[in-house]
Amino acid sequence: MTSPARPKQSRSLRLYARLLELYPPSFLQRHRAEMLQNFADLEEVAESKAKLWLLMGKDLAMSLMSHFLGSRLGHYVIAVLVTWMLIFAIGYFFYGPTPGRPALHAFAGFLPGMLAMYFATRLYGTPPNSISHFFRSRFDISVIGVFVAWILLFVIGCYFYDPTRGHPALQVFGGALLGMLAMYIATHVYGMP
Amino acid sequence: MSKSEPRLPLTPAVFHILLALFGEERHGYDIMQQVRADSEDAVKMGPGTLYGSLDRMIEVGLVAKGNTRDPRRIYYRLTALGQATLRAETERLSRVARVARRQLGTA
Repeated sequence: MTSPARPKQSRSLRLYARLLELYPPSFLQRHRAEMLQNFADLEEVAESKAKLWLLMGKDLAMSLMSHFLGSRLGHYVIAVLVTWMLIFAIGYFFYGPTPGRPALHAFAGFLPGMLAMYFATRLYGTPPNSISHFFRSRFDISVIGVFVAWILLFVIGCYFYDPTRGHPALQVFGGALLGMLAMYIATHVYGMP
Repeated sequence: MSKSEPRLPLTPAVFHILLALFGEERHGYDIMQQVRADSEDAVKMGPGTLYGSLDRMIEVGLVAKGNTRDPRRIYYRLTALGQATLRAETERLSRVARVARRQLGTA
């Protein structure tokens, strides 16, 4: 007996289904089927793919932010960012701007570092605490991939352009590592939203 | 928020969802289209915003799920509190508009 043919999914719908994984599992459990159906409906009547993705991009950003900021993990991240800014402001006020602005470079790395770790944890699952489990999951592979890409970029930059005065790339790299570590600890302490 | 009395003011998204559901049960896509039509294209709501708002509205008792079996097409309807809140918010907005018109000399 042949099984009924499943309607072919568009590439946009498959991509949207993947992006939905960024939402909390409890939310997806309630609304995943509805959201996919809505996307398919919107795609059918959309004037262009660009307009559709513009709406979806804005919607994803706004609603994910709302879910995140309403969670315990979101409160922790806000506290970390406020603390960072306070320290930066106090340092600036008492000691004046440091030549090369290393704090600003480190902060520029810290934010994407946190964001990268958050997305990796959401998409590939929270890693187990035991160090013996490391290097075995897609999560670990993605983290190692990010590290290797960073180091490669840094080495290529040094090789072709010589080290920049004040080593801003190194400060950004250090900031990103700190950001990833901060988010890694936070997801273990507070759990994912 | 108490489940027995309206809490104002509402966010534009919540107001438009209540308005779209007034007098008719609708599923998610239908709500999005109705909101777009009611606001003359000013409010374009995506699925993430819509279901996030609906979850909160169900939690506070403004909206309830209808009896549907298809998980892709769940219908939503206004509760009595939802209707009362919509009326109260409309009245509040009218008062604000009246004051604004008077100040601007366009009454």
